[in-house]
Amino acid sequence: MEEYSVVGKSVERTDGRVKVTGRARYAGDLVAPGMLYGKILRSPLAHAKILSIDTSRAKALPGVMAVITGKDFPGIPFGTRPDTRDQLPMPITKVHHFGEGVAAVAATDEDTAEEALDLIKVDYEELPAVLTAADALNPDAPLVNEFIKSNIAYSSNFLFGDVEKGFKEADHIREETFSSQRVTVGFIEPHACLAEVDPTGRILLQGSKQSPYITWRHMCRALDIPLSKMRIVNPFVGGAFSGKHDPFDVDFAAAKLAQVTGRPVKVVLNYDEVLAAYRQRNAMDARLKIGVKRNGVITALKAECILEGGPISGIGPFNIYYFGAFMNIPYKIPAIEYHGKLVYSNRAPCGTVRGQEIVLAQFALDSLLHMVAEDIGMDQVEIRYINAVTDGWRTANGMMVDVSGLRECIQRSAERIGWKKSRKGRPEGRGIGFSCASHPSGPRLGGHFGSSVMLKLVEDGKVVITHGGTEIGQGANTVFCQMAAEVLGLPFEDMIQGVSDSDTTIFDSGMFGDRCTYWDGNATIAAATDLKRQLAVIAAKELGASPEDLEFKNKRIFIKERPEKGIDFLLAVRRAYYERGEPLYGKGYWAATDIDIVDWKTGKGNLAHGLDFIATGIEVEVDKETGKVRLMKGVHGDDAGQPINPAMLEGQVIGGSAHMTGHALLEESLYDERGIALNYTWRDYKQPTSMDVPEYAVEHVHTHDPYGPFGAKGAGEASSCSTLAAVANGVYDAVGVRIKDLPITPEKILKALAEKERK
Amino acid sequence: MFIKRLPGFEHHAATSIPEALDLLTRYAGKAEVYAGGTDLLVAMKKREKIPEHLIDLKGIAEMRGIRSNDQKGIHIGSLTTLAELESSSVVKGKFAALWDAVNEMASPQIRTLGTIGGNLCGAVPSADTAPPLIALGASVKMVGPDGDRSVLVENFFKGPKESVLRKNELLKEVFIPNPAEFSSGSYVKLMRRNALDLALVGVAAYLRLDSNDKICKEARIALGAVAPTPIRVPQTEEVLAGRPIDITRAEEAGRVASQVCFPITDIRSTSGYRCSMVEVLTKRAVLEAHRRILGTR
Repeated sequence: MEEYSVVGKSVERTDGRVKVTGRARYAGDLVAPGMLYGKILRSPLAHAKILSIDTSRAKALPGVMAVITGKDFPGIPFGTRPDTRDQLPMPITKVHHFGEGVAAVAATDEDTAEEALDLIKVDYEELPAVLTAADALNPDAPLVNEFIKSNIAYSSNFLFGDVEKGFKEADHIREETFSSQRVTVGFIEPHACLAEVDPTGRILLQGSKQSPYITWRHMCRALDIPLSKMRIVNPFVGGAFSGKHDPFDVDFAAAKLAQVTGRPVKVVLNYDEVLAAYRQRNAMDARLKIGVKRNGVITALKAECILEGGPISGIGPFNIYYFGAFMNIPYKIPAIEYHGKLVYSNRAPCGTVRGQEIVLAQFALDSLLHMVAEDIGMDQVEIRYINAVTDGWRTANGMMVDVSGLRECIQRSAERIGWKKSRKGRPEGRGIGFSCASHPSGPRLGGHFGSSVMLKLVEDGKVVITHGGTEIGQGANTVFCQMAAEVLGLPFEDMIQGVSDSDTTIFDSGMFGDRCTYWDGNATIAAATDLKRQLAVIAAKELGASPEDLEFKNKRIFIKERPEKGIDFLLAVRRAYYERGEPLYGKGYWAATDIDIVDWKTGKGNLAHGLDFIATGIEVEVDKETGKVRLMKGVHGDDAGQPINPAMLEGQVIGGSAHMTGHALLEESLYDERGIALNYTWRDYKQPTSMDVPEYAVEHVHTHDPYGPFGAKGAGEASSCSTLAAVANGVYDAVGVRIKDLPITPEKILKALAEKERK
Repeated sequence: MFIKRLPGFEHHAATSIPEALDLLTRYAGKAEVYAGGTDLLVAMKKREKIPEHLIDLKGIAEMRGIRSNDQKGIHIGSLTTLAELESSSVVKGKFAALWDAVNEMASPQIRTLGTIGGNLCGAVPSADTAPPLIALGASVKMVGPDGDRSVLVENFFKGPKESVLRKNELLKEVFIPNPAEFSSGSYVKLMRRNALDLALVGVAAYLRLDSNDKICKEARIALGAVAPTPIRVPQTEEVLAGRPIDITRAEEAGRVASQVCFPITDIRSTSGYRCSMVEVLTKRAVLEAHRRILGTR
């Protein structure tokens, strides 16, 4: 393996100190001259017609500069796909969920803005609320979305391989249902933005956004302005986990209020608003049927899934495809039939959460795998090992596995957690559960999809790097600085992270699906190589050599075969600026044009490169009297290709798993029968604390991805996908009860234990 | 519906009890007193309370701090923070049940603000300091325009968020009598997660054994979060008093306690689960108090 000087080292992240000392400026910290404060009035009902909105008293309040409602926008719906444009900036004819924004105020101070909200009078006519998938599919159900004449927002149906034959060949077949609750996304920073309009009418939005490109496209469409009429600059973002892709009423209201008043407008939410009215993970109802041979080999799978996703489709069409697509991996399943539906409801709108719907698919699949292994008397590690995908495997739906370290991941996690020893005996109430998972390094969707990076080499020899990804805490900025430094033969400290600004940066299509390190990483290498090529021409002349014979290392450019013959890197830079008058920009892009744009309805195709793999073992202890689950230890065997920054990689793997322990055991957004949210405070919505997560260990399984930058793969989401089933399987191993409906609460465990006792 | 900014109010920083009482009388019906503010300020942001006047008690030195009296017990000023109790070696050594409670309340940050007086005056059924104080036989001293009066903590609560404290009175201090020889206590709290959480059920136990560690001479058991107020459960105490403590006895105490509690079903838990957890936690609290008595020998 090649020896690197910066890549593969746990350098200090570029934003670490500024964040932990409280000096990083987030959207809520921004100020602009003459800035107004915006506040949003929210619906107290889940489903109702808006009969009228009277804003006159609010407008008359001294200090109030503008009041807007949905009617102030052009009425153009937007959505992820051309056929799913089902959302307005703010509602006009009806409200769809509790807490939906119906009007917004801009005032000279926050107190006045709040007072003005109380003066807005909205007349509603309440409608019956659609809360569950069963409600939505009831033939008499009221329609939730005014743009779509059905409560089925999207469906996916696949058939790959000979499923009938597969089940015929199976020695054992098992069918089970699984369900999962509504959970929130879980980032720290609530939604916030500052919008300004310049004298030419051009909007500047600085918001807490994960995918500024998506926000930009959707906002310009719904505001009916050309893309060039809006500029986006990214401040620091306090986490996103897929909860901040699209524009919200927060962003639209700030922009519209800024347009109306001609003054900068800032909107910052409280977290109760985020918990009640913004993105959650879809509720899931799934049915899976699996066939296995006596030796554990899987022969066929049939899966059905309904996702209940709130009143808009959002990224849901992709979610429903993803659930089925990732039934095809990480195990070799030759034949798969899948039927998925995404339905509308009057609960908070869903996007997705870290790991996307692979999290739910893998919960169902790996729980079921545990059950069939037990049925046929097979070891839990063994059944995963023999079915694990290997190098060169093409999945039934057409995904290509270039490099798989999964088998080694399984072996190492089983060894580290002490699986074999635990089979000989373990303390009362203790058990170990396993789950594997795979996650791609950035799927290709339609439209703009490339990643680009720009390097500016300053005349003091330092490099300013700007890229189209978004640093949302995952460490993107740091790994690109590492990669550029590696290629240019410069120390990490000579890299400076520039600002992401749509005027100078070509934003990525979105910051999702573990794509950033992979796609922008390759673009970084291309940009650094471009810069190197320009410098090599200058240095070659100086050294009387050919540019191809030069090497860049330790701030020097020298002849590869005669390392003593070279010049300082800085000298080459100065020659460019001072003698040639030539600016030094390196630009690069990367786009996987060789992968497929998959039709989400039919699901066939190779949607991504860089499938990363994980095998997770979690040891649990169940208190049989209280039903409480304690997570003792979690071990991840993780194949993320070549680690770029091992410490940050470990943080991603551990973080992704810790995040999902809440989904497994604690978290649930609750609603009453009218769809009113019940627990939208951090007191009553239980996210895990550091006292709730297990002690983690990560076993890095080094592989080399043929397409990834330095052989790396994406990494932030696989451990999210493998955690739910590992916990559920661990609980079963500990006390012999199988919980198939999440979250696994103490009450469910006690009830199941009592039933088991009766049998 | 959603949290708002603090409403406007006039702030009065009292520096003595008479001054605070004067302010309370002057702004009768329009004022709230506060110390840590961890409950009141949130209630104001939710507009559950909109006092025109806030009387800040933090500057009243005589309501602050822990005074140990070797003959009788300890006086805990009502402004004493939960963090101060947590770091007190006297509390940890002699009044372990109370220490158990403050050690698990809220978060370290909130514990540096929240006070024992505030926890009691808030009078929520799940107030963590209440069951241990009841089990330890503690009383509170209240001061008003007409002088002082004391009441046992077990008689302090009247209903959810209601106590016997009058509108024109302040809770001045908590007094806990020194525990007898051959005694100890414990508080066991069940939470949904392991920190930063309210009690689904809380059980405090206080046991006194005879000089041979054989027979339980006295038992006091108190429950939190399973009735409109924190409650003492004499029926359970009768199961324990006069008998040797062992697992069977502790289980029996748990069964009886679960029959006399009357919790509600809410978004945090069902009444059925809370009742069965009273059974489990009472057993555990009794066994832990027993273990601690034997452990001090």
